Amino acid sequence: MPELSYREAVRDALVQAMRQDEDVFVMGEDIAEMGGSMGVTHGMLEEFGPARVRNTPISEMALAGAAIGAALQGMRPVAEIMYEDFMTLAAEQVVNQAAKHRYMSGGQLTVPVVFRTQGGAGWSPGAQHAQQLEAWFVHVPGLKVVFASTPEDVRGLLWSSIYDDNPVVFFEHRTLYGIKGDVPEKIEPIPIGKARVHRAGEDVTVIATGRLVHESLTAAAEAEKEGISVEVVDPRTLQPLDEQTLVDSVKKTNRAVVAHEAVTRMGFGAEVAAVLQYQAFDWLDAPVERVGARFAPLPFAPVMESYVVPHADDVLAAIRRTVARGD
Amino acid sequence: MATEVRLPRLGQGMESGTIVKWLKAEGDMVEKGEPLYELDTDKVTQEVEAEASGVLLKIAVAEGEVAVGRTIGFIGAEGEVVEVAAPPAPEPAAAEAPAAAPAAEAAPTVVSSTTNGRIKASPLARRIARERGVDLASVRGTGPDGRIVAEDVERAEVGAAPAPVAAAPVPSPAGEVERRPLSNVRRTIARRLTEAWTVPAFQLTVDIDMSRADELVHKQRELNPGVRITVTDLLTKVCATALMRHRDMNVRFGEDELFVYPTADVGIAVAAPQGLVVPVVRSAERLTLAEIAGVRGDLVSRAREAKLRTEDLDGGTFTISNLGMFGVDQFVAVLNPPQASILAVGRTREQVVPQDGELVVLPLMTATLTCDHRAVDGATGAEFLGTIRAFLEDPGLAL
Amino acid sequence: MAKVEATKSALAQGDLRDMLREMLLIRRFEEKVEERFRAGELPGFLHVAIGEEACAVGVCRALEDGDVIASTHRAHGHTLAKGTHPNELMAELYGKQEGCSHGYGGSMHLYDIERGNMGANAVIGGGLPQITGAALAFQMRGEPRVAVAFFGDGATNIGTFHEALNLAQLWKVPAVFVLEDNKWAESTPEWQHSPIRDMSERAKAFGMKSMKADGQDVEAVYKTARKALEHARSGQGPVFLHLDTCRFSGHYIGDPQVYRPKEEPRELRETRDPITHLRERLGLTDAEFEELDAEVTEIVEASVDFAKNGTDPAPEDAMKNVYA
Repeated sequence: MPELSYREAVRDALVQAMRQDEDVFVMGEDIAEMGGSMGVTHGMLEEFGPARVRNTPISEMALAGAAIGAALQGMRPVAEIMYEDFMTLAAEQVVNQAAKHRYMSGGQLTVPVVFRTQGGAGWSPGAQHAQQLEAWFVHVPGLKVVFASTPEDVRGLLWSSIYDDNPVVFFEHRTLYGIKGDVPEKIEPIPIGKARVHRAGEDVTVIATGRLVHESLTAAAEAEKEGISVEVVDPRTLQPLDEQTLVDSVKKTNRAVVAHEAVTRMGFGAEVAAVLQYQAFDWLDAPVERVGARFAPLPFAPVMESYVVPHADDVLAAIRRTVARGD
Repeated sequence: MATEVRLPRLGQGMESGTIVKWLKAEGDMVEKGEPLYELDTDKVTQEVEAEASGVLLKIAVAEGEVAVGRTIGFIGAEGEVVEVAAPPAPEPAAAEAPAAAPAAEAAPTVVSSTTNGRIKASPLARRIARERGVDLASVRGTGPDGRIVAEDVERAEVGAAPAPVAAAPVPSPAGEVERRPLSNVRRTIARRLTEAWTVPAFQLTVDIDMSRADELVHKQRELNPGVRITVTDLLTKVCATALMRHRDMNVRFGEDELFVYPTADVGIAVAAPQGLVVPVVRSAERLTLAEIAGVRGDLVSRAREAKLRTEDLDGGTFTISNLGMFGVDQFVAVLNPPQASILAVGRTREQVVPQDGELVVLPLMTATLTCDHRAVDGATGAEFLGTIRAFLEDPGLAL
Repeated sequence: MAKVEATKSALAQGDLRDMLREMLLIRRFEEKVEERFRAGELPGFLHVAIGEEACAVGVCRALEDGDVIASTHRAHGHTLAKGTHPNELMAELYGKQEGCSHGYGGSMHLYDIERGNMGANAVIGGGLPQITGAALAFQMRGEPRVAVAFFGDGATNIGTFHEALNLAQLWKVPAVFVLEDNKWAESTPEWQHSPIRDMSERAKAFGMKSMKADGQDVEAVYKTARKALEHARSGQGPVFLHLDTCRFSGHYIGDPQVYRPKEEPRELRETRDPITHLRERLGLTDAEFEELDAEVTEIVEASVDFAKNGTDPAPEDAMKNVYA
C-alpha cells in the first residue's frame, strides 16, 4: 500500500477529481503559485492552470459566495478558506445561502459545493488562527460536516464530499498535515456518515475527532497497561452523525469518553454525550466524560496554550474516571 | 351597496389596533385615499385612508381597541340604510395567558446516601438489579462516592441454588393432566418463600463429627425414659445456646433497624400432610433437652393432625430443618422469613476421614446454614456455625 | 415571454404595448397583494415594488435565454418579469404547494430555476457573490450566458456588494449588477446611508464599467440593459447598471412611512409613474387602457382564486428538502 501524508492525501483527492471532471475546480487565497498556506495545492497550478486553480483576493464572502453561485450552475467547486477562524466571515454565505437554497426553493436546487478549511492549536498560532468551530456548522440544517483524522480517511472523504450534492464543510487539522499513513492504491470513496473503529476494546469507548483521535490512541495504549481495555471510535462525519456505531460501542463497553480539541462547553461532544445518554441509558455504568479545551480563547505563550488544549493524558484521566472505584 | 370599513392588518403580526379618533363624521363625504381615522398600533400612531369613496354612513366603533378585520364603519350612497349588528364593545385584546411562572427547578440533590432513602447506582447497575431481583439497598457500592456499579450488583447477587428435589416420576394417568387447586397452606408457603427468595442470602456448610452427639442423645434417652429425645432436640438446644452466645445471629432484618431478640425461639420444620409448617419451641435456651423433646413431640404430633394453633407458629427467631430421616446427605434450606438464618441438616453417615495422618471412620453430619446477608455477614455466620459444630462435637462446651 | 422583435436601438409599438401590459400586471398584482395582506390572508413579511415596475420589465425583457437573475427581498416584480406565472407566485405567497417554491420560501425566497430565477434573497446583498459565481461558471464553460443581480442603494454599503463586484471585475465575468436606486434603505434616506451622492461612482472603486438610465422609462431601461448585457456577454467584463427609480409604497406592507414626508409618495405617483409615462408615450385612449387594465386585473384575481384553492403542504413536509 502506498503511503501518503495527510496533506498529500487531500491533494490527491483534489487532483484526481479535477483530472476526471472538468466541473471540479479549486479557489482560495494563495492557492496558486504558493500552493496554499498549508501547501495543500502545491503543484496544482502547473497541472491545471489558473482558471481551475484560482487565487482569490482576501474576500471570504465573495470566495464562498462565488463558489456557491458556480455550484448552483452545476459545477463542483472546492473553496479553500485559509483558516477555520475565517469561516466566520464566510458564514453568511455558507449558513444563510448554501445551507438553505435547496430547502427554500422547495427542492429545485442542489448546491454541490465543498468548503475546505483547517484549524487547530499547536505552535502558538494565537486566538484568531486556531479555533475549532465545528459546533457552529453541525448546528445548521442543510450543511454536511466532515472531519477526517487520517490520510486514508481524508482522501476518501474529500472525494465523497466533492461528489455529494449538498454543501459540505470539510475540516482539516493543521497539526495532522504531516502525519503519514497507508492509503489504498486507488481512491476508495468513504461514505459520508460512517464512523470508524480504530481500536477495539471492552471496558470504555472513547469517541474522538481530529487530533484527539491520535491522542486517544496514545491514551488507550497507556490504559491497556493498567488493565483497562479501550475502544477508540472516530465518527469522521460530524453531520450526519453515525449514532448507531457510537451507541453500539457504548452498549458493549458501558462507559464513554467524548474527546475533541474544541472547547468542551456547548461543543460537539455535548451532542454526542446527549445521544449516548439517551440511547444507551440503561447500559451506562458511569457518567459520560467529555474532554476538550478549557473555556478560554487560545493563549499565545506555549505553556498557556498547552494548558488550555486537551492532550493524551486528559483522555487517559477521563478513561480512568469512568472505571474509578471509591472516593 | 355600502362598503364595510374593516380594521386592516398593517404589519406582520398585528392582531389589533386602537382607534384614536375619526377624522370624518357620520354624514361626511369621503374620497378614496383620504385619511379617515387615526389608528394606534404597537409601533406608531398613523392615519388610515378610506378604501372607498362615498358618504360615511355610520361609525360602528368610535374609539378603542379593535381586532383586525372587525367592521368599524360603513361608506355608501347618501340615504342608504345600513344595519349595524349591535356593535359589541371593542373587544379587549385576547388576554395573554399570564406567563406561568417557570417552576423553579429543584436543585438536584447533591447529597445522596442511603440514609436519605436515595440510592446511588449507575443506570446499568439498576437495570441488572431489576432484572435479577436484587435489592439495591442490600448492595454495597464501590464506585466513586459510594455509587453502586454493575460489578457490585453481580457480586451481591448470590444465586441460591434451589434444593434439587428429585421427584419420583409419577406414572401419569392415561390421557389427562390433573389440576389441583392450591390449598391456603400451599399459597402461603409459596408467597412467603417467594418473598424469602428475593433476600440476598449466602450459605455456609460444615461437616460435623457426631460421635459425641450421638452418645449424648443415647445417654439422655436412658436418663429420660418418658420422652423420646432425638438429634433434632439436641440440635434445637445447641442452636438455642449458640444463638444466645451469638446475639448478632438472633436477629430479624427491618426497614431501618435490626431487631435483636432476647430469647431463642427455635422453629422446627415439619412435613405435615398439608404442607411444610414450622412450629416454634420458645426460649429453647432455657429448656432442658428433655423439656425440648416434650414440646417438640407435642408440636409435631399436633402438626401431623393439623391441629396447630397460631401461637404455635408465630414468632421464631431461627429454624432447623432436618431431612436426614429422608436419607438426604446435604441440602440448602430457604430462609424462613423474616428470620435471619436457617440450619439445614442431613443424615449422619459414616465417612472415611483423614485424622492425624491416619484414616478414620467417623459419623459425619453435614449442616448448611443459610443467612440473610442484609442482617448477617459471612464472618458472623461462620462463627455461629463453628459454635454449633463445637457444641455438637464437644457438648460440654455448651454449658 | 415573446421575444422582442425590434432591433437593439428601437422598440416596435407592439413590444412597448407588451411592456406596458407587463408593468400594469405587476402593478395590479402588487396592489392586490397589499389588499390581501391587509385582509389578514398572507403570512410573513411582504415588500411590494410599486413604482419600480419599469426596472424589472426593462431589464428582464433584455435578457436572452439562459441568462439568470438573482433578486432581493422586493422580488415580485422581478419574478413576474422573468416569466413566473402570477398563479404560482400568488400561490407561494399563500404558502401553497403550487407556489413556485412549493410553500418553502414565501415572498423573500421566490425561486424559479427553470426560468432562470436563482432566487430572491432576504439578506441584503446575499445574492451578489453568487451571481459572480454563476457568471464565473458561464465563463469557465464558455457559455454565452449572463448572470444579472438586482439590488438596492442600501445594498451598496454591505460587504458582499464590495466583495462580489470586486471579484467579478477582477475575473471579468459576464455579470450585470443592476442597482434599483430608489433612494431609500428601509427608512434611511440615501444621503444618510451613503457618503457619495452619485451611486454610479460606486463602480469606479472596482474599475467596473458603469451605465445609467432613468428607471421610470422602460424603454430607456431596456435599451441600456441591452448594452450592458452585450458588454458582459462579449467578454469585456461586468457592468454596473444604475437605474434611477422610486418606491411609491413603504418598505413593507403596512409601513406607515413616518420617516418620509407625506406628500412625497403622492407627488412621485403623479410625476414619475412609469405606467403613466408609457401610456402617454403610446397615446393610448382611456378605453384602450381600461381594456388592458381589465385584462390584467382578471389575471390577478384569478391568481388569488388559484392560490386560495391551492393545497396546503402537510406539516411533515417541513422535513423534506433539507438535504439532496
